[in-house]
This record gives sequence, structure tokens and C-alpha cells, in this order.
Amino acid sequence: KCNTFSKCGFYTATQEKRNDLPWSRSKMLDGHLLLGWLSITLIVYLLSLPGPSAAYFGLTGNEPLSILPLNSLPEENVGRAHYKLCDRLKLEKKQRRMCRRDPGVAETLREAITMSALECQYQFRFERWNCTLEGRHRANILKRGFKETAFLYAVSSAGLTHAMAKACSAGRMERCTCDEAPDLENRKAWQWGGCGDNLKYANKFVKDFLGKRSNKDLRARVDMHNTNVGMKVIKAGVETTCKCHGVSGSCTVQTCWRQLLPFHEIGKQLKSRYEASVKVGSSTNEATGEGEISTGRGLQEPPPQPLPGLNDQIPRTMDLLHIEDSPSFCRPSKYSSGTAARKCYKDKNCDAICCGRGHNTQSREVTRPCQCQVRWCCYVECKQCTQREEVYTCKG
Amino acid sequence: SLFFNSLYLLDSRHCVFALTLLTLLMQVVVEANSWWSLAMNPLLIPEAYIIGAQPLCSQLVGLSQGQKKLCQLYQDHMQYIGEGAKTGIRECQYQFRHRRWNCSTVDNSSVFGRVMQIGSRETAFTYAISAAGVVNAVSRACREGELSSCGCSRAARPKDLPRDWLWGGCGDNLNYGYRFSKEFVDAREREKSYPKGTYESARLLMNLHNNEAGRRTVSDLAHVSCKCHGVSGSCSLKTCWLQLADFRKVGDALKEKYDSAAAMKLNSRGKLVQMHSKFNAPTSHDLVYIESSPDYCLKNQSTGSLGTVGRLCNKTSEGMDGCELMCCGRGYDQYKAQIVERCHCKFHWCCYVKCKRCTKIVDQFVCK
Repeated sequence: KCNTFSKCGFYTATQEKRNDLPWSRSKMLDGHLLLGWLSITLIVYLLSLPGPSAAYFGLTGNEPLSILPLNSLPEENVGRAHYKLCDRLKLEKKQRRMCRRDPGVAETLREAITMSALECQYQFRFERWNCTLEGRHRANILKRGFKETAFLYAVSSAGLTHAMAKACSAGRMERCTCDEAPDLENRKAWQWGGCGDNLKYANKFVKDFLGKRSNKDLRARVDMHNTNVGMKVIKAGVETTCKCHGVSGSCTVQTCWRQLLPFHEIGKQLKSRYEASVKVGSSTNEATGEGEISTGRGLQEPPPQPLPGLNDQIPRTMDLLHIEDSPSFCRPSKYSSGTAARKCYKDKNCDAICCGRGHNTQSREVTRPCQCQVRWCCYVECKQCTQREEVYTCKG
Repeated sequence: SLFFNSLYLLDSRHCVFALTLLTLLMQVVVEANSWWSLAMNPLLIPEAYIIGAQPLCSQLVGLSQGQKKLCQLYQDHMQYIGEGAKTGIRECQYQFRHRRWNCSTVDNSSVFGRVMQIGSRETAFTYAISAAGVVNAVSRACREGELSSCGCSRAARPKDLPRDWLWGGCGDNLNYGYRFSKEFVDAREREKSYPKGTYESARLLMNLHNNEAGRRTVSDLAHVSCKCHGVSGSCSLKTCWLQLADFRKVGDALKEKYDSAAAMKLNSRGKLVQMHSKFNAPTSHDLVYIESSPDYCLKNQSTGSLGTVGRLCNKTSEGMDGCELMCCGRGYDQYKAQIVERCHCKFHWCCYVKCKRCTKIVDQFVCK
């Protein structure tokens, strides 16, 4: 919601001209940005922090995910309450500044983390690596360039974009509001109205929040690419929803707005990209000392399309990229706790998850509601049925 | 003979010691041999039995005392026992072809080597499938009329068969096969007795349980099979009989049991009970084991594992036959191999099929 009209008006007006912040502010920020980056890289170098220097956030950050359970803050401190939350999130300097500027950002960040974590665990519930995000395992995985790392980066950025866009349209943010879509005004008898998800602002925010393109080593570039894939998947999944409200509900008068796909769908798409992830390696040209990126495909058979100018550029694909082959997560290692005692489903995936060790069967009685009926008015009454169910867990 | 010569040179105390050592060694060697060796050594043709060559049974290595007696009583059955063992081993190798231990045979006397001396899940599967193989082979042989002591199945008509179908034909004699397999295969276990609470007694109980599980699987999968022979082949007249399932199905069923096998231990009363009581108790159709499997990744003389060096692996698979798991993280080499296979097959009148031979070059991945 706009507390002050001038603030909103300022932003909406300028957004129509350019896709980023107003000219003066961006200039100022550039200077700060440079300083910020220099100091950060220095600190990183000195402390030799693990991982890349960009895109520290959420599932790809180093903080434990202890902030996941939602706790409500008391109403009195609502003015400054988000400062505390921003501090707890352990952000970088620039990110914390962006967090403090707008009180809705902190809440949105937390929601984004929750959403990404749940989606990751849902998509990987049948795989050997089931996206456990506790302890040292996540940190160790992030140190290497596995397919799982690529997925984590993509789902983090997708979650943040999604949450931010929804927060804008839900009115939780001060600096943005509904989707402005001037481009389709003259199409048929539609009228743009409603309150669409503000993808434009969300994209801009996430790009600023997660850092600019850094031409450092291969790992940093691959991470940036995967982050962008996450954002692109969200962008590609925008649908137009319309509601008819003409004479007796006919569609002579329609109101349409743009909406993002539900995050489950995004998760499914990212999972399929994870499965089709492409391995890239870097090789150095001995004569010139320049590095170039090559995909694994080029090593064995001629690639289907010639790869465009490879000097210092990651191939522009919508695929996720990874650098190393993942370990099999069968045995306890520093990357996962192994698949012992994992729940599996006998017909589908016990062979795959249990890595050939076999499974144990346990019977238990489960009480579920059944034969539900609607009673007038307006509650649902169910009976309780007990049935024996078998639970399969992998042998250790 | 050299050994006995040297015995004369020692005094009596050493003699006794040496003799006991010798008998112990022989005991161990005899334990390692098994009736499975009937599958490896080609058995003589049945005509040899007719001539009445008695010494045949004592020539067969790997049989225990009780099994030798049964051999003398039922000489014509021995060929089918060998075939049953061979079927069992072949099915075992098919089911385990994608895993680290691939049921490979080591030699002709102990067949699988020292791996069978560990009471693991793989041992359980092997015992079960070989007992099942014997049931299969003997039942079929009865139906074919090869054995003098049994004939077609005399099983009772199943209750749920529709009334106008005839029950007859010549079904596989499952009853006889089951009983004979029980007598023969369990003979080695039954004739020994070990003190309560020892490892050998646990192994004995485990072997008996698994043999029974194999036999029961065959008997459960036997089904009613019918043939229509009414007017011009219609189904107005139908005759049904009992038929054993294809052995591949038995192998699949036992492989599932292998995946869900139960870990057991001896309780104070000398019976096998579950290691973790919260899981479902195994029925007589399930497989049990008492020790965990050895590491099949590396070659090990004492456990009898052959290792996975030199095994083919599948680069694209995520399962046990994938290069990551099969090679146990050691990595793999890539070779190009030329495969010759039949292709462009054509049927010629009358009545043969002629195929051409195509060669193609494929990538093969071999574990380091």
C-alpha cells in the first residue's frame, strides 16, 4: 500500500520509462555499490569464506534455517520490528539496507525461504538426496558444484521472485503495488484491472538483492546462471486470468490480470531442469591464457548446435548447469546422512532409494476420516476408518 | 600318500594331533561342497542307470550321507535334481545380473565359494531358489513320465472352478516335487544337530526356513491352466489342469522376498527371532538371514567376495548397475566394443528363418 501518494506516484511514473531505479538514485547507488563490493571481496578474501561471493540468500546462505517457524511480533513495535528481522537474517550490507528500507521485505524474505525449503523437500521426497537443509550437509553441498547446488540456487531465486511479486499485489510492501500492464490496453474488449502480481518490480528487486553478474571464476558464473534460470522460469510462467462480469455473467465485459503460476508448478519445472542439467567444464587456452567454458557434450560427440563464442561466456540456455558429478547419497557422508531408515514406497522407489540394501516392513494401524458427507449447513461430517498400512523403511 | 608316509615318522601324540587336524579339515571341505555341484558336473545319461551301475551315487561329490542314501533309492531322480539346481543358478544369475554380487559360480565343487558360508541375504536367496528349482524340475519330470515313482498330478479339483469345465489333463505333479525336494534338499540339515545357541544351529534353522520359502513360492505361483477343445476349437468344452508358473516368475517373487528379508538372531531358547521386533515378523514364505552381507566391492579371500573390478556398468543408470554404485566410486574405463548380432531376419517358405549378421560399435564401461 502507498502511505504517501507522492512516493508511489514517483515510482510508477518512472517505471514506465525505464526498467530500473530513477536515474539519480542509481548513480548514487553505483558508487556505494562499488565500495560495498570492494570491501566485501576484501573481507571474503581475508576470511576465505566458502562459496561464491554473490547471491548469499536464503537456502544458499550460510545461516541455519532456524527462523522458519513463524512467530508473530507484538503490535507496538511494528514500526521498527522489521529491523530486528533483517538483522536476524544475516544479510550482507547492501541486502540489509534494502531490507530495512521497506518493512514488508523482511516478512517476504522469510516467506520466500519457507516456500523454497518446502518446495525443495517436496520435489525431492522420492530421491536419495531429499533436500535436508540442516547442519553441515547443506554447507558442504554448497561448497561444491553439484546438480543439487544448481537446484538450490534456482529454487531460492525463484522463491524470492515469487514471494516478492505476490507480496506486492497483496499490498504488504510499501514500495510497490499491483502490476502495471500498459501494453495490452487495446486488445479486444478486455480491460486490464484487478491486481496482477508485480513481476517487474520483483525481478528488479531480486537482481539488485542477489548481486550483479560477476566475472570471477567458473563457479560464480555458474551460480549466477542458475539464479537467472530460476527467475526466467518464473517469468515464463505468467498466465492471464480473466473474470467475466457482463450482463448476467457473460463475457462481454471482462477483467483480466496477470498471475504467476503456483509455486508447485515452478518447482516441478525446476525439478525437470535439474534432471536435464548440463555439465560444464572450463579449460584454459594455453597460448592466450584465456579460459573458456565447454559443455560435456562437446567432448564425446559433436554438439547438436555449435556453441556461440565461448570466451568467458556461459552458453545461453535455460538449462541448469553443474560443474561436478554428484556423489551417490547412499551412505552417510559429509553431504547427506545416507538413506538408512528413509521411508520408501514399495512399488515405486524402494529399489532406487535403498541402494540395493533392501527394506524393512512395518505394519501399523492408521485412522483416517472416510465416508465424508456435507451437512446442511455448512459443515462436513466424517467417519473414522482404521486400516492397516505397511510402512517400508530402508535397511541401514 | 606323502602325508601318510610322514605320519610314520612322528610319534603317537603327534599322530593323534595330526589325525584330528586332518579330519577337521576334511569336515570343513565337505561342508563347503554342496549338492549344487550336481548342476556343474554333467550327469550321466539315464541309460547308465538302467545298466545298474551302482557306484554312481558315491561318485557324486557334495552329497551328504542322507542325500547319498536317497540317491541310491531314487537314482533316476538325480539327473533332474541337477537340472533343477542348474535352473536355480541360472535364474539367480539373471536376477542379480545388475548387482555387485552377481551369483557367479567359482568352481565345480563348492559352486559359489566361501560366500555361502556367511548367513547373508544372498545366501538366503540362493538356498531358496535352488530348492525351488528342484521342485520345478522334479514336478515337470513326473508329468513327462520320466520318473518311475510318480505320474501326473492327482491334485483335487479346485473349488472355485466353474462347474462345466473339466478337470483332468496331465498337470505338473507339484505334490510329489514338493515332498521330494523337502526330503532331498533338507537332508543335509536334518541329519546334523548342533548345540543350542551356536552359530551353526542358527545357520541350520535359517537354511531350513529359506528352503521352505523357496518351495512354497513355487507352490503359491502354480495356477490353473485350461485348453478349449469344443466344436472347431470353441470354448464350449474346456479342460483344466494345474500348471507350475514359469520359473522367471518364481525368480521375481523370490527377488522381492530378498529385498524385504528379515534379520534374525538366536534367542535364549535356541530359536530364531527377529533382530528388531518392531518390524513385521517373517512368515514361512519370507526369507531370513542372520548376518549382514560382506562388502562385495573389493576382492576378499576370506569372505569369498570377487569384487567388482572388471564388471560392466551402465553409465546412464542411477541404480545398482550404474557406474557410480557398481564401481564403488573407483571410476571406470571406457572401451569401444564391436557387437555382432542378428538383424534383418526373414521368414522363408518353408519353414526356416534366415538372418543377416550386423556389427555395431558400442561404448562399454568397465569398472576399475
